[in-house]
Amino acid sequence: MKISKVWGVIFLIGGMVAVEAVPGFAQVDPLRRCLLCHGKAGFKEVLEGGKERPLYIDVEDFRGSAHGNMVCTICHTDVRTIPHLSRPRRIHCLQCHYEGNVVGAPVERKPEKYKESVHGKALEKGDPRAPDCRDCHTSHSVRQASDSASTVNKRHVPETCGRCHLSVFTAYSQSVHGTALSKGILESAACSDCHREHDLLPKDDPRSSLYPQNVANTCATCHQNETLMRKLGIPVKQVQAFKESFHGVAIEFGFLKVANCVSCHGYHDILPQSDIRSSIHPTNLAKTCGKCHPRVTAMVARGKIHVLPTEPSSGIVYWVSQFFKWFTILVLLGLFLHILLDLFGRFRAHRTT
Amino acid sequence: MSYPDENPPREPQGAKIPPQKENLAQRIQKVFSDLDYPLDEEIVEEILQDVRKRVEQEIVKQRRKEEKERREAREFVTRFNLNIRVQHFLLAVAVLLLIFTGLPIKFHESAWADIYFRFLGGLSLSRWLHRLAAILLTGISLYHLFYISFHPEGKREFRLMIPTRKDFKDFWQNIRFYLGLSSQKPKFHRFSYVEKFDYWAVYWGVVIMVVSGFLLWLHDWTLAILPKFILDIAREVHSDEAFLATVAIIMWHFYNVHLNPHNFPFNPSIFTGKISREKMREEHPLEYDEIFIETLTTASTSHTTAVATSSPSSEDSSPPPEPSEHHL
Repeated sequence: MKISKVWGVIFLIGGMVAVEAVPGFAQVDPLRRCLLCHGKAGFKEVLEGGKERPLYIDVEDFRGSAHGNMVCTICHTDVRTIPHLSRPRRIHCLQCHYEGNVVGAPVERKPEKYKESVHGKALEKGDPRAPDCRDCHTSHSVRQASDSASTVNKRHVPETCGRCHLSVFTAYSQSVHGTALSKGILESAACSDCHREHDLLPKDDPRSSLYPQNVANTCATCHQNETLMRKLGIPVKQVQAFKESFHGVAIEFGFLKVANCVSCHGYHDILPQSDIRSSIHPTNLAKTCGKCHPRVTAMVARGKIHVLPTEPSSGIVYWVSQFFKWFTILVLLGLFLHILLDLFGRFRAHRTT
Repeated sequence: MSYPDENPPREPQGAKIPPQKENLAQRIQKVFSDLDYPLDEEIVEEILQDVRKRVEQEIVKQRRKEEKERREAREFVTRFNLNIRVQHFLLAVAVLLLIFTGLPIKFHESAWADIYFRFLGGLSLSRWLHRLAAILLTGISLYHLFYISFHPEGKREFRLMIPTRKDFKDFWQNIRFYLGLSSQKPKFHRFSYVEKFDYWAVYWGVVIMVVSGFLLWLHDWTLAILPKFILDIAREVHSDEAFLATVAIIMWHFYNVHLNPHNFPFNPSIFTGKISREKMREEHPLEYDEIFIETLTTASTSHTTAVATSSPSSEDSSPPPEPSEHHL
């Protein structure tokens, strides 16, 4: 079955090359025949119950897509005659994008990753709402993520995901990441920067970027990047300070209910500390910490949260740490010298007697 | 304890026991009278010899033990009473347990901590052992505070622990002695400046560790009444002082009581409570003089009472000249 398809594709490509090679035929638009109908704006199918299904293809958009130099029948292999009397079979990207395909369709193990993801699993279970490749990549205007017109380009990722996850999209749009992205700061995080794209795993899966033990590393991909954080004017040692804190060490030891980044900062609705609505605004800290530490009062706001004793910015904690450093060195040096002197004195006295 | 002796018993042991007029041979016969046939004279004699030999051995053993006790009483002095010995023992147990369960948390990224936690199956057990030991340490520290505040022995010991001007002079004299600039070793009283340093180091360490430890343990309460930076300081201090204390114990305490050629392999005084008169005269000459001069004058035989009644004289300015006597 598959082999016959492959041969079909090869045959078609061969045919295209032949058509191109013959002068006179070259001017003939290979899409022309399909576009006779599908190129007309408003071309649609009326389904049972009055619903409409648009069948119009924007040819300019299609030509700009990753598949723009291909003809319709490469994918719609079952369309042989015009007009086609039956509805073309549902097609799938895996027709070409599979490991070892001979047409040169790029595969970066992404389909395999997708099958493991929440979306892939839901699809496998037969959830009709589960997204397939084309729900994010679209059918006819598939573009590289680097292409600014692509639905999977960073600028458009939130909208693409938001088509299903509407409430999340609303919260995200107001967050520090969302507003930054809409201002065109592309370093800001879109959905896929935290959730990943194809290997989007549930948060209780240890491989997931959202698993409690992995959250700090997920945030660290940007927030520990010194050049990036300096450029944006955001402190860069926060992740390191977290990992050395009680919460960070406890989570390393597998206490998963311990606070990680998102427990305090939120996730979709992250806001800067200066924003009164933010969970980490000083006036809200007692409430935020109180989720786990119910006795905590506003006292928790008095002092830095991400404290690294080795950083001068940590204030008194830095000075205490420095005091102990030098105190320890002095005391141990003194004790060591005394021991040496004691030994020296004993040997000297031993020799003289 | 009474032994079957060939001599008739010297003291009657009670009304119930009939007066024993028969000799040992007869008693042996009597013991074996249940047998179907009587023992002949030869076997009785053999048993008799055997019993006599054993009794003699037992007597010799007993006498040696008594002799040893007398000698020890003559040659050894009680340096630490049982109360102090038990305090030290419990303190040592608590501190060692705290170090063993605490340092792997401080150095949680190291390979040896990994081995430790794999052995204990994670952090949970270690945490609770640490807290258990913390309670022990707190308990023993509070008891010690009580002991040095109210107990007469404790009050006296503590008074002798307070650093004086003489300790600084002793320290300087000791350095000069080590360097060969002086032939005089400083003369210490009950506690030398080294021992005082050890004691006060522990005092400082325990106060810091207990206070910061409880702030951390009860962090919810801490954050209810104290600013967060206090908790940050508590954490930093707990970690730093733990390291300092551990290294100081390993270096200083182990050198002074174990590795020092004078004490090698180990000075058992704090466990047995005893110190030989010889060693006391060498290491604590002022205390020695105080006890034994007083002993001579009051003709008292008990050294412990002498220790307890003698008054401290730590404000002595300079040690009295001593006939050139080098203790090595």
